[in-house]
Amino acid sequence: MSGQNYSSTDDESLVKAARKGELAAFEELVFRHRDPIYARAFSMTRNEQDAVDLSQEAWIKGWQRLEQFHGESSFTTWMTRIVINLCLDHLRKQKRHRADSIEEMDEESGGVERQMPVVAVNPTAGLERAELRVKIDAALAELSAEHRAVLVLHEFEDMEYKEIAKTIGCSIGTVMSRLFYARRKMAALLADMRREI
Amino acid sequence: MNQEQQLKLQAFLDGELPEREAREILSWTQRDSAAAALVAELRNTRQAMAKAEPHLSLPESREFFWSKIEREIQRREPATASAPDVSIYAALRRWLLPAVAVGALVIAGMIARFNVPNATVETVADADTPTVETTLANSDATTYRDASEGTTLVWFSAAADASPVPNKKPTAIN
Repeated sequence: MSGQNYSSTDDESLVKAARKGELAAFEELVFRHRDPIYARAFSMTRNEQDAVDLSQEAWIKGWQRLEQFHGESSFTTWMTRIVINLCLDHLRKQKRHRADSIEEMDEESGGVERQMPVVAVNPTAGLERAELRVKIDAALAELSAEHRAVLVLHEFEDMEYKEIAKTIGCSIGTVMSRLFYARRKMAALLADMRREI
Repeated sequence: MNQEQQLKLQAFLDGELPEREAREILSWTQRDSAAAALVAELRNTRQAMAKAEPHLSLPESREFFWSKIEREIQRREPATASAPDVSIYAALRRWLLPAVAVGALVIAGMIARFNVPNATVETVADADTPTVETTLANSDATTYRDASEGTTLVWFSAAADASPVPNKKPTAIN
């Protein structure tokens, strides 16, 4: 390490220095972007320790794959893709260790969401942003990992159906079905929270 | 409304339909209140999420988090790091010079053994004991071999004729 102070260096230069083996430059990148990478891991897993471990692993993978980053997207976007893939692998491993619930099987076949009544009044109208965040966070926690993953990728990462299908490794039809269920469930949960006030 | 129609409404909302199909769905939602209500609900949820992504901070200090990453990077480095830069001089010194020295010794040994008829072996022993050879009667090279240690030493005289006591320098080959 050179001991150079990188606090005022832009991301692109930091990546170049890190590629040459400068760990201090990479440390600065970690310091700058650790929160959104952790936040994405948490939104996918809903487990603090898993999110810390997965974001840590993402940074290690990022260091090892720096040569593959060519600047087509921002460094944060590139790192976010790495942590998303790690989270999806993690969720797949978890899924192998548990049996799918009846509800999930029904969701996949498109049964449950069709029976939900439409939420006619916007349950989030008039909420302050901070309050809305808390409610969205609480509602996300109620979804299954599979539905939450699709919703997060679509709403927070702005991915199209095709891109989500490719990332997750499923059909576009499955993406559409899971997204539909996730949104309908979110609307119902937010409406319930509204009634509880 | 069947599932396919519901998913079409969602795809319309997300801008995933071709233009012609999107126009058809728009027309349908204008005629069908149930379809319009479903699109409104899906839109409300989408808009709420778009402006309310939870902001979270890593629950570990910068120093602690980085120390774990740094340690793991260093632990995995030998398996993933590219070969370190080696200067030409260093490579020469490390590989070429010993190779030249070995080659020279082999050539010297072959010349001494096959091209000079007066070559005599002063000492011969079995494979387990060290041997000392003077390969030429007036040779300026003496070889010491120890098979058990896998060691061969060769002495070259710097000025055999000029000095009563030959100035010999050993070279080791393992």
